[in-house]
Amino acid sequence: MSELTRTGLEPLNTIGNETARVDAVERVTGQAKYTRDWKLPGMLYAKVLRSPHPHARIVSIDTTEAAALPGVRSIITHEDAQVVWGSGSVNGGRQYNDPTKDATLHRRYIFNNPVRFVGDSVAAVAATDRHIAAQALTLIKVEYEELPFVLEPEESLADGAPQIWPEGNLCPDFRGELNPMVSDIGDVEAGFEEADRVFEERYETSFIHNAQMEPRCALAHWQRDKLVLYTPSQGISNCRHDTARDLGLEDHQVQVITKYMGGGFGNKNQNQDADLVAATLSRRAGVPVMLEYSRREDWLGVHGRWPTVQNYKIGVKEDGTVTAMELRGYSGMGPYRKNSGGISGMDAYGCPNRYREIHPVYTNRTTSGNFRAPSEPHGFYGVENMMDEVAYQIGMDPVEFTKINMRRPTEEQQFTNYSLEEVIDDGVERFNWQARRKVVPGSDDGPIKRGAGFSFMMFRAGVGTSSAIVRVNAREEYTLYVGVTDIGPGAKTTMGMIAAEALNVPLSQVEVVWGDTDRCPYSVGESGSRTTIMTGIAVVEAVQDLQRQIADGGMPSGSDVLIASASPTPTTDGKTRQCFGAHFVEVEVDTRVGSTRILKYTAVHESGRIINPTTARDQIRGATLQGIGQALHENLLYDPKTGQPLTPGYYRGRHLTHKDIPDIDVHFIEVDDGYGPFGAKTAGESGIILAPAAVANAVANATGKRMTSLPITRDKILGAMA
Amino acid sequence: MRNKDKRDNRSDLDSNIDSVVKYADPTQGLDPQQQSRRDFLEGSGAAVVAGAGISALGISTAQAQSSNSAARTAISVTVNGIQHSLEVADHWTLAELLRDELDLTGTKIGCNRSECGACTVLMDGQPIYSCSQLAVWANGAIIQTVEGLAVNGELSPVQEAFVVNNGPQCGFCTPGQLMTATALLNNNPSPTADEVKDAMVGNLCRCSNYNSIVEAVVMAGEEGGVA
Repeated sequence: MSELTRTGLEPLNTIGNETARVDAVERVTGQAKYTRDWKLPGMLYAKVLRSPHPHARIVSIDTTEAAALPGVRSIITHEDAQVVWGSGSVNGGRQYNDPTKDATLHRRYIFNNPVRFVGDSVAAVAATDRHIAAQALTLIKVEYEELPFVLEPEESLADGAPQIWPEGNLCPDFRGELNPMVSDIGDVEAGFEEADRVFEERYETSFIHNAQMEPRCALAHWQRDKLVLYTPSQGISNCRHDTARDLGLEDHQVQVITKYMGGGFGNKNQNQDADLVAATLSRRAGVPVMLEYSRREDWLGVHGRWPTVQNYKIGVKEDGTVTAMELRGYSGMGPYRKNSGGISGMDAYGCPNRYREIHPVYTNRTTSGNFRAPSEPHGFYGVENMMDEVAYQIGMDPVEFTKINMRRPTEEQQFTNYSLEEVIDDGVERFNWQARRKVVPGSDDGPIKRGAGFSFMMFRAGVGTSSAIVRVNAREEYTLYVGVTDIGPGAKTTMGMIAAEALNVPLSQVEVVWGDTDRCPYSVGESGSRTTIMTGIAVVEAVQDLQRQIADGGMPSGSDVLIASASPTPTTDGKTRQCFGAHFVEVEVDTRVGSTRILKYTAVHESGRIINPTTARDQIRGATLQGIGQALHENLLYDPKTGQPLTPGYYRGRHLTHKDIPDIDVHFIEVDDGYGPFGAKTAGESGIILAPAAVANAVANATGKRMTSLPITRDKILGAMA
Repeated sequence: MRNKDKRDNRSDLDSNIDSVVKYADPTQGLDPQQQSRRDFLEGSGAAVVAGAGISALGISTAQAQSSNSAARTAISVTVNGIQHSLEVADHWTLAELLRDELDLTGTKIGCNRSECGACTVLMDGQPIYSCSQLAVWANGAIIQTVEGLAVNGELSPVQEAFVVNNGPQCGFCTPGQLMTATALLNNNPSPTADEVKDAMVGNLCRCSNYNSIVEAVVMAGEEGGVA
C-alpha cells in the first residue's frame, strides 16, 4: 500500500483534514450528469466527417445524397460554415490573448481547406439519430487532391519540405514573425570556454494524448440570440468568452454549463471546435444539437503533448560546477499552433550562462497542445537526463551535483519561500537513496538489473485574478458561487473547505454552486494548477467582505440574505512563488526482454499548505502514474509512408492499467509562505513533471545505458543492451 | 441485512448463468426464437459488431446501411430489479439501451470499442462491456447498473469506500470500476490488492487514480461487506 505522510503544519478546523468530496455521492451513484447525459426535447445528434489524408486540397464536396437521407436535418462544410476557431490556432500559442488571436497569421476554421492532418474536420451532419448521422457521413462525396506531407519537425524545416502554410513551417511568434523562441542569459560561449569538459546529447520525446476518459462532445441550444452550451470544459469562463468571440456574440449571449466533466488534463481548457460546430448546426436546424466524438476522433481531432527533439550542450568544471547550458529544440505542433511548444527545465538551474532556442514547427500530424504541465515533463526528462549523465561521467552523485547547480534565491530574485533543498534531503532519507542507487551504473550482475533515479523541480505558484460570491441566509446556511467545474482534482470541495475555514463553520454548512456561467462569477479555469490558489484567494476575500457586513449590520433575519463578492488581483510583492518537488524511483530492468518494473517510488512535494490531503495525495499519485506512462509506454506512432496514425486509442497506446501500478509514497512538506489561501500553492501538475525524468534516470542507473528517447519501450532497451 | 439481500439476489443470478453464456457471446448470435444468426448478419446488428475497426475514422458502410432499416426486436430485460418489455432496434448496443431508452446515464461510454471499461455493467452477475453487447442479446438477462447499487440512498460498501478513499477523480470511469468491483466482491468478499488489480484490469482510469481505487475495494472487503 502507498503511504501518505505530512510534516510542517498542523491541520486547521477544516483545512488540512482528510475530507470526502462534497459531490462524492453523485459521483458513485451515477447521478453525476456529464455532457453526454443531457437530453433536451427534440435534440438532434451530430457527427463530424474527417480527412483520411494527412494533407490534401478539397476539390469538391457533394452533400446531395446525404441531405436526402431521411432524418438528416443539417449539413455544414467549409463552403457554407466559415467559423474561425480562435483558440485552435494562435500566434505564439498565446491562448488567452484576444489581440493576438485577432492578428493570428495562420487561422484555423472549424472546417479547413486544405485539410492538414488525418482527422482534420471536413463536414458535420445533424440528424434525428446518431446512427443516421453516421450513415449520412458515408454519403458525402469528397474529392481530394492529395498533397505532399511531412511528419517530423526537423524534416519540416529542411529545404524542399512540403509547405503546410505559405510562409513556411516555422510557427509564427506572437507578433506574427517567423522566429524561434530564444532565451539568452549571460554569455554561453564564455561559459563553454570556462568549462573543463563539454557534453552533448540529443533527446527525443513522443506525442502523448491527454486521453481523458470522456470523449469530447457538446450540446448546443439556442434561445433566440442566446446560445446555451453544455460542454465538458475545464474553464467555463474562458470557454464562454472564446465561443462568444468566435461566433460574433457578446459574452452574455453565451451560457456555458459544465456540471460534471470526465477529465481533460489540458485539452478542455477553452472552447473546442466541437462547441462551434454544435452551435452552428443547432442554429441552422433550429433545435438542440448534441455532437459526439468517437474515441478515435477525440484522439486525432483534439490534441496531446507536443513531441520534441532536444539537443543539449553542457559545460562543466571538474568540481561539478556547470558553466554553460545550451538547448536547441524542436517541437512538433501539428499544422495549427494551439499552444506554446515550450521545453522547460533549464530554468531550474542556477547556471549564469544559458542559451535556449526552441523551434515550434508545423507538421502534418494531429495538433499538439496543452497537457498537464504543458512544457515541463518532456523538458525535465531531457535536461535532467543530460545532467544525470554528466554527473555520473564526472563521478558525482546526481543529488550532490544537483545541489551545486540548482537554482537558488538571489538578491535580485527572491522567493516567497524556498524549500527545494529540504525536499531533496527528505526524499534522500525516505527513499534510502544511497543504498538503492548504483554508484557504477549497470553494475548488477546477471540479466535482471536494478537501479535508482532522481529528479527535482520547481513550478510556478503565482497568484492572480479570480472571483467568488458568498451568500448567507438567516439559518446560517452559506452558499458559495465559484466558476469551477471540478475536472477531477476536487475543486468544488477545496473551494468549500476554504470558505468553511474562513467562515469558521463546518463544511456541511456551505453549499457550493459551480459550473454555470450564468450563475457563477469569473474563474480562471482549472488549468495551470490555478484554481486552488487564485479562486481560493477570491473565496477568502469574499468571506471577509461578508464578515464585515455581518459585523456592521448583524446576521440576516427572516427571508433576508447577505451577499458578498470579491475579484482580487493579489501579488507576491515581486518575489517568485514556486512549489517544489523531488521524486526517487527504483526500477528493475529485465534486459532479456527489455521490460521495466517499478519497485519503489517516493514523491516529496512542498505545495504550501495542503487544503485536502486526500485529493492532494491523488493529484500527486495520478500525475506521477501518467508520467510513468509517458516514460515507458505512450506514443502516437505514424506510418512515415502514408502519414496515417497507427496507435490512436487506449489499447494501442498501451496506457497503464490496474496491473501496471506500483505503490507511490507521497510526502508533503507543508509551509505557509503568507501568500495564497491559507498558504496553499500549486499541486495538480507538479507530479507529472518529475516522473519521466526520474524513471529514465533509474533505467540508466540500472542498465548503464542512457535512454535518449521516450517512451523507453522494450525494443529500445534490447537495442541498447545488444 | 442488506448483505443477506444481496446474497439472495446473487443466487437468483446464478440460476440465469446459462442464458448469460447464450446471449453474451457475440459469435452465438441472437436468441433463435427472436431472430436467426443469418438474419442478424444480413440485417443491422453485424455492422455494429464489425464497425469498431473498419474505416479510418470509425464509420463503416455496413454500419451506415443499418441505420434506417431500424429492424426491431421485442425483448424482456430486468434492469436494477425492474422488468422491462420493449422493442429495441437491432443495432442498439446495450449501453445505448440503458442510456438513451431507460435514461440510466450512470453507465458511461468512453471508447465504444471494448478498450476502457467505462460502460461496465453486470449481466447476470458478470461484468461486461455494455458498449460491445447488442441490446437484443440482453433478452432474458438480469442487468445491474451503477444506479442499482445503492438502496434508498444507502450506499453499498464499495460505494462507501469510494467516497471515503477518493475513488473517483473526474468520475467518468467510476461507474464501471464500481460494477467490476461489485462483481469481484460478490465472489471474493475479502480480496487482496493483487486480486483487485487482476479483476479490474479491464477498467482504465486516465486520472490514474488506480492506487485509491484498489485501496477502496480492499477496504470495502475488509469492512466485511459483500458489495
